[in-house]
Amino acid sequence: MTTTHCPYCSLQCGMTLVREGRALTVEPWATFPVNEGALCRKGWTSTGLRGHRERLTTPLVRDRAADGSRGELRAASWDEALDLVADVLSRVRTVHGADGVAVFGAGGLTNEKAYALGKFARVALGTSQIDYNGRWCMSSAASAGLRALGLDRGLPFPLADVEKADVLVLAGSNLAETAPPAARHLDRLRARGGQVVVVDPRRTPTAERSDLHLAPVPGTDLALALGVLHLVVAAGAVDEAYVAARTTGFDEVRRSVATWWPEQVERVTGIAAAEVRALADLLIGTARAGGRVLVLTARGVEQHSQGSDTVLAWINVALALGMPGREGAGYGCLTGQGNGQGGREHGQKADQLPGYRSIEDPAARAHVAAVWGVDPTSLPGKGRSAYELLDALGRPATDEAPAGPRAMLVLGSNIVVSAPNALHVAERLRSLDLLVVADLVLSETAALADVVLPVTQWAEETGTMTNLEGRVVLRQRAVTPPAGVRTDLEVIAALAERLDAPSTFPTDPEEVFAELGRASAGGPADYAGITYDRIRAEHGVFWPCPAPYADGTPHPGTPRLFADRFGHADGRARFLVTTFRGAAEQPCDDYPLHLTTGRVLGQYQSGAQTRRVKDLPDTGPFVELHPLLARRLGTADGEVLTVRTRRGSMRAPARVVETIRPDTVFVPFHWVGANRLTNDALDPASRMPEFKVCAAAVSA
Amino acid sequence: MRGGGERMNAHVPEHSQHLVVVGHGMAAVRLVETLVAGGWVERGNRLTVLGDETGPAYNRILLSAVLEGVHDERAITLRDEDWYAAAGVTLRTGARVAEIDRGAREVVLVDRSRVPYDRLVLATGSIPTLPPVRGLVRPDGSLHPTVHAFRSAGDLRGLLAALDDPTRPVRRAVVVGGGLLGLQVARALGARAGRRAVVTEVVEGADHVLSRQLDRAGASILARDLARLGTTVYTGARATRLVASPMPEHAVGVRLDNGHVLATDLVVLTAGGRPATALARGAGLEVRRGIVVDDRLATTDPVVHAIGDCAQHAGRVSGFVGPAWDQAVCLAAHLLAGADGGADGGAGAAPYPGIREVARLRATGLDVAVLGDPEAAAAAGGEVVAVTNPVTRSHRKLVVRDGRIVAAALVGDLARVGLLTQYVERGTVLGPHEPGDLLLPERRTRAAGPADLPDTAEVCACAGVSAGALRACGSLDEVRETTRATTGCGGCSDAVRALLATRTPALTGGNA
Repeated sequence: MTTTHCPYCSLQCGMTLVREGRALTVEPWATFPVNEGALCRKGWTSTGLRGHRERLTTPLVRDRAADGSRGELRAASWDEALDLVADVLSRVRTVHGADGVAVFGAGGLTNEKAYALGKFARVALGTSQIDYNGRWCMSSAASAGLRALGLDRGLPFPLADVEKADVLVLAGSNLAETAPPAARHLDRLRARGGQVVVVDPRRTPTAERSDLHLAPVPGTDLALALGVLHLVVAAGAVDEAYVAARTTGFDEVRRSVATWWPEQVERVTGIAAAEVRALADLLIGTARAGGRVLVLTARGVEQHSQGSDTVLAWINVALALGMPGREGAGYGCLTGQGNGQGGREHGQKADQLPGYRSIEDPAARAHVAAVWGVDPTSLPGKGRSAYELLDALGRPATDEAPAGPRAMLVLGSNIVVSAPNALHVAERLRSLDLLVVADLVLSETAALADVVLPVTQWAEETGTMTNLEGRVVLRQRAVTPPAGVRTDLEVIAALAERLDAPSTFPTDPEEVFAELGRASAGGPADYAGITYDRIRAEHGVFWPCPAPYADGTPHPGTPRLFADRFGHADGRARFLVTTFRGAAEQPCDDYPLHLTTGRVLGQYQSGAQTRRVKDLPDTGPFVELHPLLARRLGTADGEVLTVRTRRGSMRAPARVVETIRPDTVFVPFHWVGANRLTNDALDPASRMPEFKVCAAAVSA
Repeated sequence: MRGGGERMNAHVPEHSQHLVVVGHGMAAVRLVETLVAGGWVERGNRLTVLGDETGPAYNRILLSAVLEGVHDERAITLRDEDWYAAAGVTLRTGARVAEIDRGAREVVLVDRSRVPYDRLVLATGSIPTLPPVRGLVRPDGSLHPTVHAFRSAGDLRGLLAALDDPTRPVRRAVVVGGGLLGLQVARALGARAGRRAVVTEVVEGADHVLSRQLDRAGASILARDLARLGTTVYTGARATRLVASPMPEHAVGVRLDNGHVLATDLVVLTAGGRPATALARGAGLEVRRGIVVDDRLATTDPVVHAIGDCAQHAGRVSGFVGPAWDQAVCLAAHLLAGADGGADGGAGAAPYPGIREVARLRATGLDVAVLGDPEAAAAAGGEVVAVTNPVTRSHRKLVVRDGRIVAAALVGDLARVGLLTQYVERGTVLGPHEPGDLLLPERRTRAAGPADLPDTAEVCACAGVSAGALRACGSLDEVRETTRATTGCGGCSDAVRALLATRTPALTGGNA
């Protein structure tokens, strides 16, 4: 029996893996507090990938002819594959410089892997060109949280605190389907007499469990938040004492919302003015009665070219009502990927060093370089963000931009399914001299690679994850990996050795974690006081958890942030002005509909794992649309539709539902297709692509 | 095209332009904000705003909400003086412009001081029309003390002072004008938050209220709503004269052209406005109803522009903020492009597409939305799809042309107002049935009750459990134990209980 955590989303639900003979089954881990033994069907079936016939157990290499044309992938030995990779990377580095090699990581990697990958890029490759798919997850919330609150930890409190709120606003979250065990907190909140508000263009299963559901036009969430603050100000409901004592910048924000009266919000968002007032009245009445208002954002409002502004505007609402820092109140982000939180803290992001340190901060560089035993000046600077990196692959230098990378190493990401404007991204991947993908199965991205490295999966290895609460948890190895596969840490170490990297690259996760702790010490996300033993004993430890005090007493960790001060040097939160621009691509005569994308309960991310679990429903993609629109198009439930955007097209059956806006269609993104359609316009602050809205045409 | 270089200060770059905006209302503020955000000042250009009111710029739309007491008066300020200073914009409030000297490219203030410009924007707004009522204006030119206009923050303050004057209690009010503003003011007076309501009567010369926006069917429904809320409306009646009150407890009387006299303590004039065009006319620019502008919002003098209520584009003037903002943003794009490119004056920027209006009555208890101009659109040959239901007091009318909804009027039922606004503004082409379908009540089909679910239907999404599997269980404990249904998100708990409760006796027999 091994206690561990689910391989999928950011809840990192606790579970027990039981081995009986050759079988490995999932049983509840009732005492782990985040999920109290509850799991969704993805968790219950998570051992279903074990022993799968498509599991890769030998490296694959694609030979190239003298003219550069590509042959088929063939089996190769580890030595041959690793030698080839090291050889080409060295050559590319010699010819094109260190930034000729790129690294692409993932929010599903353990902290140890994310740390080792960032170190490998900076030390072994010397490249600045490293980023990860977490950029497409919660980077907008991260950017806003850092700017407004001075610290980015998804939830600044344990998830169970959600139950204590009197009003919970879920802005762009469908947690009943995307993180089902978390929905239990909604029911308990409502059983206590609290109310739940859901903002989503679709009446999702989460919205069905709410007291108030507002369905904005995709891409207009910012206008709603501005309109709510307008009414808070208009009603004189601002917590002036809190604003004066704990924040700066309110006056300009107060002025900036004067033009967002409810009828103006209605015109922009498509939400009736009366509903905007109902939401504001609920928040104002609750705050006036001394109650707790909690706003949680998720991808629905964050994956936009104004995603970080939308989060800032909701934080402004929470601050104006005097909520952040109170228990069961304030603002939080529902992180998406399993290690979306930890993955952004330890150096696989283009602008960061371990401990959530800035790579441009000389003191941070000196500290980390000392832990790594290298010269701080040898560390590269900030690189391109995830989409910009992919867009630059294989491109020659221009007057505006330096040349893009010629080779790339990908860990834990299925880019050609999950990147926006995916046809374009696939074309960039094909332009590389070398694409290396480490994965469990031949994902759509691995199928394009020159070298595929088979790696261990979840139950076969040990490592820490940091869940949506900032709780560091431990996944423990339960079974022996199949012969022929290696861990990501072993792959990184083997390549580092072949590249004659300075510093060391241990392969024991606990040893890597101890080094990560030292590298993070003193940073905002300080893990120095966390050990595997403590995590086991305490059901996880919340960062920041600095090294033990001088007398040896351990730091208790920090379940709740912001009670007395925010993360900025002066301890105050920042009100920041945001200006509504709207989605980058607006409907027109040729593409008259809004397209939005999202998840379904039974699948996860690009589906590389879940589509291969036979007990999970693999429906294939579908196009959700309203009966009014179906009648306009002359189609019916189940008929195959073509969805086109300026970037690509896909065909999928219609699902006619009354739960979506009639001007909007929805396509889930777990299958190839949805991201051929999505727009690659980026948020200027977070560099988040606009996955959640673009203009589309649909035909029968 | 650019002129007046010789007047520029030596340290200003040669390409620099001085833009002067006359007016400090909502159009002017949006123009200035857009220019500042676009780098107008950063690029070395100057920007001066001349406003004749003395306070900061404010949101005029919200004045009736302040009157009603649901909006903090301090919270209608759009931008304060500090913002202008920080943005590098010169703001001169209380600066009334007397004339424009186009020859010298100078604006002349009433104190005879002169402000030179390279480009000039007139955002002078509109002036309330004084209805021809004898006795409104006293010999010294001031309004009778019981009479108030309702256009500016100053008007609002005067009205609030009168309402709060303990020496002269206001129990009754007459609103002259049954347009959007008149109805908003009437409802605000009748529904003042935390104060004693004022009995309010509305006098409208046309034969129905909102005569610019609604047809008779819609207006009659609205009039009944008003009556229900305690506001009496006199249509087809003009106020002709202010007379002594027929009742001693009230301050004054309003005589109507039918001879009737309304006793009242307060008279509010909302009988419309007209574009403020005197400066433009005096400067020899083409003026019809408003200051005539082209698709670049330029007047007949290419360096003089006009936006907002004072401007007339393609034969139309608008009194709404939406078009004023659209014009401000469009003009800013032209000015910024012109500042970049110089000679073309911003010809590269997109032309102004024309006025699109959305009129939304902000009045407690009254649901009215008018998109575009339904009466004109119908008269111009649009196809009308309408549902009027006097029983439920709702009237909805869509005017369709080439499959697009070009205008709409909704009274008493604002279902789908958000969606209809999107369709009108985006010009979405609909199917032939769709306008009619949109007027049907929104159906929300309830999923079949648990008892009716076929055995194959999935009930618990978290664990993937079908109704059949649940029906095979004898108790909630058995459900949890054998299927794990209800243990994940908990969303199916009610359905599972219902399924267990409706099990057929034959199935439950053994366990009961």
